Amino acid sequence: MIKLDPAVINRVTKPARYTGNELNSVKKDHASVKVTVALALPDVYEVGMSNLGLKILYQILNDRTDTAAERVYAPWVDMEAEMRAHHIPLHTLETFTPVKDFDMIGFSLQYEMIYSNVLNMLDLAGIPLMTAERDERHPFVIGGGPCAYNAEPVADFFDLLVIGEGEEVIEDVVAVLASWKEDGKPDGRSGFLKRAAKIEGVYVPSFYDVSYQADGTIAAVTPNCSEAKPAIIKRVVKDLNDVKFATKPVVPYLDIVHDRIMLELFRGCTRGCRFCQAGVLYRPVRERTPEKLFDIAEQLVQNTGYNEISLTSLSSADYSHLREIVRGLGERFNDKGVSVSLPSLRIDSFSIELAQEVQQVRKSGLTFAPEAGTQRLRDVINKGVTEQDLEQAVGAAFRQGWSSVKLYFMIGLPTETDEDVLGIADLAYRVLNLYKEIKGRRGAKVTVSVSSFVPKAHTAFQWYGQNSTEEIERKQQLLKSRLRDRSISFNYHDSRTSFLEGVFSRGDRRLGKVLLEAWRGGAKFDGWSEYFKYGVWMEAFEKCGIDPHFYANRERNEAEILPWQHISSGVDKSFLVSEYQQAIQECYTPDCRRSTCSACGVCPGLGVEVLDWGMQA
Amino acid sequence: MGDAGVMEKLRTEITKGEEIRYISHLDYARVIERAIRRANLPVAYSEGFNPHMKISFASALAVGVTSEAEYLDIELNQAVAAAEVQERLSAQLPAGLRLKKAKYVDQKTPALMAVVNLAQYKVIAPAGSDFAMIEKAVAEFNQALEVRYIRESPKGKKEIDVKDYVEQDIAVEQKDGLVILSMTIKITPTGSVKPGEVLKALVENFALNVVEAGALIHRTGLFIANEKVLLSPIDL
Repeated sequence: MIKLDPAVINRVTKPARYTGNELNSVKKDHASVKVTVALALPDVYEVGMSNLGLKILYQILNDRTDTAAERVYAPWVDMEAEMRAHHIPLHTLETFTPVKDFDMIGFSLQYEMIYSNVLNMLDLAGIPLMTAERDERHPFVIGGGPCAYNAEPVADFFDLLVIGEGEEVIEDVVAVLASWKEDGKPDGRSGFLKRAAKIEGVYVPSFYDVSYQADGTIAAVTPNCSEAKPAIIKRVVKDLNDVKFATKPVVPYLDIVHDRIMLELFRGCTRGCRFCQAGVLYRPVRERTPEKLFDIAEQLVQNTGYNEISLTSLSSADYSHLREIVRGLGERFNDKGVSVSLPSLRIDSFSIELAQEVQQVRKSGLTFAPEAGTQRLRDVINKGVTEQDLEQAVGAAFRQGWSSVKLYFMIGLPTETDEDVLGIADLAYRVLNLYKEIKGRRGAKVTVSVSSFVPKAHTAFQWYGQNSTEEIERKQQLLKSRLRDRSISFNYHDSRTSFLEGVFSRGDRRLGKVLLEAWRGGAKFDGWSEYFKYGVWMEAFEKCGIDPHFYANRERNEAEILPWQHISSGVDKSFLVSEYQQAIQECYTPDCRRSTCSACGVCPGLGVEVLDWGMQA
Repeated sequence: MGDAGVMEKLRTEITKGEEIRYISHLDYARVIERAIRRANLPVAYSEGFNPHMKISFASALAVGVTSEAEYLDIELNQAVAAAEVQERLSAQLPAGLRLKKAKYVDQKTPALMAVVNLAQYKVIAPAGSDFAMIEKAVAEFNQALEVRYIRESPKGKKEIDVKDYVEQDIAVEQKDGLVILSMTIKITPTGSVKPGEVLKALVENFALNVVEAGALIHRTGLFIANEKVLLSPIDL
C-alpha cells in the first residue's frame, strides 16, 4: 500500500483527485478475492470519474465476491512530477495498491487523443509497455470502449481488447482469469489469452499477423493460432432491463465534468447520421422500460444524494416515453430539490416544450446541432433536419423566453463546398434575425461552434480522405470573415488535433512505434490544448518513416482491406458502401425505427431486436 | 419544497477528518448537502426557481485542514427529534465526517458566520533543527510587536500584520520529531489570517526550522468569545 507524504500532496493542485475515500467506493481485502482489476481511464480524475461505462463495470465487478475492482486515472502533470521524483508507482484510489500488483488493468478507450496517456500510465505503473515484454509477474493490459473497434494503432500495447458492450463480457473474462489462476496458470500468459480468445467479443491482437503490400495498404490479416477467430463480433446486451446498471456509483468530492446522476434511457440510435461512429457501434436501439428507469432513479437518488438527474443516451429526445419520464421524475423528486436535465435536444418544438418543462425559468441557453450549413450537405450526412425545423425550434425557444442559442457544426464533410461553409454563417444570421422578428428588437446571442470532421472506422465515411489542415484552416478563416457580428461568437477546433485524431482513428499497427516515439518525446494529455505538442508528433512520424497523410487524407478504395476489417460492429460492409453512395447522391435514408428497415444487418446478425416501448403501446 | 410555516433550526457539531482532509469548503458543503438528502430529512429549501437547501456554516476550512469543531445550522420544515436527526444523518456521512452533537436552537439565533470570532489550531510539522532553536524562533514571534506578511492572491499582493490576528502567545511542544504549534486566531468582520500563513511568517521572518511543506493543520476549536467567556457555538 502506497502512503502519500503530506509534503507531496500539499504541493499539487486539487489534491482530492488522489486521496480516495469517496462515498460508495469499495475497498476489499485482496487476499480474499480471486481476481483483482484496476479500472483505468487515461485522463485526469474529473474526466475519468464522469465515464458511465466504468461506473457500470465497477459495480458489476465489485458485486462479485471473487473480484475486487478499483479505480485509477492519469495523474495531472504536477502530480506525475512528484510521483516520478519520489518513486511513487501508479496506484489505485481504493486501497492504494500499486497497479502492477493487480491481475489486470482495464483501460477505457474513449478517444484517440488519450493513447499517449495509456503509455504514460503503464510506465508510471512500472509495467512494460509492449505486450511482448510482459511476463507472468505483470498484469494483463486490456482495453474497451469505442476505440477498441480500431485498436490497431495500440495493438502492440494491449494483451486483449473487448469489442462492444462490457456488462456481460467482463464477467466472462474475469471467470476465465480466475479459473486459469486456479489451474496454476498453465502455459503462462498465452495460456490465459488463448482461453480468453474463445470468448465472443474478445480480441487478442498478438494472435493476428498483418502483412502489407508494396503500396503500403494491407495485404492480409491472418490468425496465427487456432484460438483466434477470423472475425471478432461485438458484444451486445439483448435487454437493458436485465443487465446491471450503476445504481451505487462512487460520488466524488470534487466537482467533476458530469457531476450528477446519469440515467441511461436507452442504448443505440437509428437516425443514421453517416458521420456518426457511435450510431453504428451501439446499434440497435434498446430502450429501458419507464418502470425500470423510475426504479433505477429511486435507487440513484437514495444512494448518491445528487440534486440533478441527467437523461443520457445518444439522442435522449428520441426516447419513446420521454414526457412520461420527465414528468414522473419531477413528481417523484422535485420536493427533494432534485432537478431533471435533458442534455441533447432534437430540433423540433416538442423538444422546446420539454425543455421549458424541465428548465422552468433558469434559461441556461439551448444547444442545437444542425451539423452542416446547407440542406444539400445535411442530406449528404443524413442529418434529416431542415432549416424549417431549426427555425421552428429556435422560434419556439425565443417565444418562451430564451435568448441565447448554441449551434454545432462540422466542416470538412464529404462533398463540402465553400457555399456549404458559408451556409453556416447564413444560418447564424437567420437565427439572429428570427429573434428580431419575434421580439421586435435585437438581443439574441448565437454561439457557432465548429469542429473539423474526422472520418471514423465502421462508418459510411470510413473511406473518405480527410481535408488537409491547410484546407480546414482556409475554411475556418472563410467562415470567420463572414461572422462579423458582435452577437455571434465563433469557436473552432485546432485543425492539427483533428488531423492527428484522423490518423489514429483509421490507423494500423505500424502507428504503434510512432506513438511510442511521441510519448518518449513528451507527448501526453494530447486532448488538452495546453499540452498538445504537434511538433513532437511530426518528429515522431518523420523518425519512424511513416507518412501520417497516408492514413488521414487518402481516399480509400472500397476493395482495400481496412485495418479494422476483422472487427465487426454487426453492420454489414455492403450497407456502409451503399450509404456512402447514397451520401454522394444526396439521398436521405430514413430512421429504421420509425420507418422501414434499412437492412444494416445488425438485428439478424447479432440476434437482437430493436426495443422501443412506444411502438408496442 | 416549501414553506410549511414551521421552521426549526438545528445546530450541529461535526468533524472533518483525515479521510477528507484535502477537500475544499465548497466540496465539504456539497458532501453535507448530499448526506442530508440521502438521510431524507425534512430540510427547508429556498423559494424561487433554483431552490437550495437552507443550511449555513460557521467558517470555511482551507484545503488540507482537518477539524474537530465544524458547525452547521440546518433549517427543517418539521421538527424531528435531535437524536433521530443525529442517527439518520450519521448513517449517511462518508468517512471522515462525524456528527458529534445536534440540538435545536432558537429560530432567532444569529447566524454562525456572524458570531464566530475565534479559532484554535494545532499546526504539526516535522522538525528541521533541535528543539531549542525552534522554541527560540517561536518566542521571538511572540515578543514581536508586528509581523509583516505579504499575502498573494489572484487579486494581487497585500501586506498584513499577522499579529493583528493572533490572539495569544503561540505555544510550542515537540513529539516524535514533530513540532506542534498551538495557536488562537481572531476572525474579524474585516478578515483573518490562516494558520498556514502564520506558519509561513514564522519560517520566513523568524527562521523557524521545520519542514513547512509537510505541515498538517488541525482546527481544535471554534468559538464565540467576549471579554469574559469562550463559548462553543453548540453550547450557546
